[in-house]
Amino acid sequence: MNWDTGTKLKLAAAVGCAGVISTFLISGSERFWANWILWFLFLLTIGLGSLFIVALEHVVGARWSIPLRRIPERLSTFALLMGPAALVALLSLRFLYPWTKPESLNDPVIAGKASWLNVPFFSLRVILCAGLWILAYRILVSGSLEQDRKRDPKFNLRARRFAPLFMAVFAITITVVAFDWISSLEPKWYSDIFGVYLFAGTFLAGLAATTLALLYLKSRGRFREIGPDHMYNLGGFLFAFTVFWSYIGFAQYMLMWYANMPEEVFWYKERLQGAWGPLLLVLAVFHFLVPFFVLMPREAKGDPRFLFWTASVMLFSHWLDLYWMIFPVLRRGPLLGWPELSFGFLFVSGGLIWIRHVMNRGADMPVGDPLLREGLEFRL
Amino acid sequence: MSKRSAFSVVGIFESPQLLMNAIPGIKAKVTARLEAYTPYPIEGIDRLLGLRKSPIGGMVLVMGIIGAIAGLSFELWTSGVDYPLRTAGKPYFSWEAFIPVMFEVTVLFATFTAGLGMLLLLNRLPLFRHPMLRSKALPLVTRDKFALAVEAGAGELDPEAVAKMLQESGAESVEVIEMPAPAGPLSPVFFFNAFAAIAVSCVLAGLLTYWATKLFPILPPMVHMLDQPRLDPQRADSFFTDGFGMRMPVPETVTHDSVPYTIRSQDYAGSLVNPMPRSESVLHRGRQAYTNYCAVCHGVLGNGSPSLTAAYGAKPANLVSQKFIDLPDGKIYHVIMAGKNAMPSYAADIVESDRWAAIHYVRVLQRAMNAKDEDIPK
Repeated sequence: MNWDTGTKLKLAAAVGCAGVISTFLISGSERFWANWILWFLFLLTIGLGSLFIVALEHVVGARWSIPLRRIPERLSTFALLMGPAALVALLSLRFLYPWTKPESLNDPVIAGKASWLNVPFFSLRVILCAGLWILAYRILVSGSLEQDRKRDPKFNLRARRFAPLFMAVFAITITVVAFDWISSLEPKWYSDIFGVYLFAGTFLAGLAATTLALLYLKSRGRFREIGPDHMYNLGGFLFAFTVFWSYIGFAQYMLMWYANMPEEVFWYKERLQGAWGPLLLVLAVFHFLVPFFVLMPREAKGDPRFLFWTASVMLFSHWLDLYWMIFPVLRRGPLLGWPELSFGFLFVSGGLIWIRHVMNRGADMPVGDPLLREGLEFRL
Repeated sequence: MSKRSAFSVVGIFESPQLLMNAIPGIKAKVTARLEAYTPYPIEGIDRLLGLRKSPIGGMVLVMGIIGAIAGLSFELWTSGVDYPLRTAGKPYFSWEAFIPVMFEVTVLFATFTAGLGMLLLLNRLPLFRHPMLRSKALPLVTRDKFALAVEAGAGELDPEAVAKMLQESGAESVEVIEMPAPAGPLSPVFFFNAFAAIAVSCVLAGLLTYWATKLFPILPPMVHMLDQPRLDPQRADSFFTDGFGMRMPVPETVTHDSVPYTIRSQDYAGSLVNPMPRSESVLHRGRQAYTNYCAVCHGVLGNGSPSLTAAYGAKPANLVSQKFIDLPDGKIYHVIMAGKNAMPSYAADIVESDRWAAIHYVRVLQRAMNAKDEDIPK
C-alpha cells in the first residue's frame, strides 16, 4: 500500500467516520451534536474568513495580495462545503437549543425572542445565508477562475462593484451565524458585540488558513515568486487582528463584568467555573499572548518558520475559542474523549482531503488578472 | 582666501534603484561615512549603507513594559491600597477594571518613546544648522530625486575625487557642501544647555516647593501648631471615656429660634393667633418670605399657577380663593409647619417670624386678587 499523504488522510477520515457513527449511537445526542456544531462552525468560519479576505482585497483594490488571492478563493469553498453540514446541523436544534422546547416559552425572555428563535425562521435564515454566500462565491471566486481562461479585465470591475455590497451582506450573515448557532445555545443571554467577536475570529481563521496553505504550497515548490515582502504583509495582518480579537473579547467580558447584571453574567459564570476557567486562560495565552509576542519583531513577521507555527497556533486557538463557547452548554465540564477525537479526525482529514483536491483548481495565481504583475513586483 | 574644507559631497540619482546600485561601490572605495537622502523610505537601504540595526524596537518594548507596570502599579496603589473605594461591590484589586488604563499607559509610553526617541535621541533632531539644509540638493530630494552623501566626518575629503567616483557610479549631478561656519554664541549646544538648565530648575523648584509646603511644616517646632492639646471635631480623643472628642447635645436641646410645635391636625390649629403686627415692615418681610419659599408652587399672585405646574404633577392650592379667605391664620400656619398632601413641612426652612409675616402677605394677596371697586383709592 502506498502510504502517501492522501492515503493517510483517507484512513484518518475513515477512522473518524467510524468514531463519529459510534458517538452518535453510544455517547448520546447532545454530545454528538455539540461536536457537530463545533466542527461545522470551525470549517464554515475558515471558509467565510477566506471569502472575506477575497472581498476585502477587491474592495480596497490591493495589488500586493493578487498573487496570493487564489488561495483564499479556494479556501472559501469550505463555506460551500459546510452548506450540507448546516442542513444536517438543523437536526441538532431539538437536542441542543432550549428554545425549541415548547415549555421554554414560559420564560418571558425566550418568549420575547420567539419571533426570531423558531425552527421555521431559523431554517429559512440558514438557507438564505447559504444562498447569499453561494451568490458571492459565484461572483467573486467563480468569476476569478473564469478570468483565468477569458483574460477579461471586466471581472475586476465587477468584483470591485460587488465586493462592498458583499461586505454589508457578510456583516449581517456572520452576525446571524453568531447569534443563531452560538448565542442561541443560551437563549436568555445577549451580547451586542458577539457578531463582531465571531467576525474577528473568522477573519483570523481565514488569514491563518491562508498563511498555512501558502507556506505548505511553497514548501512543495509552488508560489515561487512570492517573497518575504508578501509574507511580511500576511504576518502583519495576523499580528494586527490578533490584537483586534483580544480587544473585542476582552471588551465583551469587561463590560459584562462591570455591569454585573445577572441576565448577562451567567454566561461567563458558566464558562469560568471548574476546569473552564483554566481553559479560558489557555485560550488567552494561545490566542493572544503567543501570537502577539512572537509576531512582534519585524523579522518574525516575514519569517516562514515563525509564520507557520504562529498560524497553526492561531487556527488551533480559534477552534478552542469555539469549543469554549459551545461545550459548556452540555454542563459537564470540558469533555475530551473519543467522540471529540473522532470528530477531529473526520473533519480535519476530510477538510484537508477537500483542500488538497481544491488546490488544483485553476492556476495557482489569477493569471487573467491584469494587475498580477504589479502584485508580484510588490516590495515593502 | 581660505577655502573651508568640504563637509560632504552629495551625488543626486534619478531612481532608488540607481542609488542602491551605487552604494556598494562607493562604500568599498571610501572610508568616510555615507548618508542617503530619499523622499520616502527605501526598504533595505539601511542594510546596504551598513547602518547598525536601530535600537528603537528594544527601547519601545522596554518602555512599553515599563508603561504597563507603571499604569498597573498606579491603579493598584490608588484603588487597592491608598484610597480603596467600594464600587458596585467589586473587589478593590480588580484586574478587569485596571486593564484599560494599563493598556493606554503602555501605549502612551511606547509611542512617546518611539516618536521622541526616534526624533530627539536617535536622529538627534532638530539639526538646525546641518549644512544639507542650505544645499541645492535638499529641495530635489524632498521631491523626486535620491541622494547619496559622502561625509567628511572627522577626516578630510578630497572633493574632486569623490565627485568623480559618484558620477562614475551613476549620479546625474554632484554637489560639494562646504563645512559650516563655526557656531556663534547662539549655537544648538547653547540652546540645549539652556533648555536643560530650565528643565532642571523646574524640577528643583518643584521639589523645593513640595518640601516647603508638605515636609517643612511638619518638622518641629512648626508642627507644634498642629499638635495642640484640644479636642478636634470629627476626631477620636481619649479625653472622654467613650473615645469621642465631640459630645452630643444636652437632651431636649432645640435649635435656635425653633418653637416646639405639637399640634397634630389642622382642625385644632385654628385657635393660634398671629403674633406679628400688621405693619409695613412686617408685610415687606412677608412678601420677601413668600416670594422665596411659597411663590414657586403657589404663584407670585397666590393663585396656584406658577411656572412649575406644567412639569410638576401636583396642583398647588389657590391661596386667594374664598376657601382660603375664610381659613384662619392658625390653619395656614399649621400647613406651613406640618405640610399637607404633596407639600412638605417648611418648618425647617422658614423662621418663626417669617412664617407669620408670610401669612399676613397672603392676606394682602387675597385682598388684591379679590379687589372691589371701593378698594380703588380716589
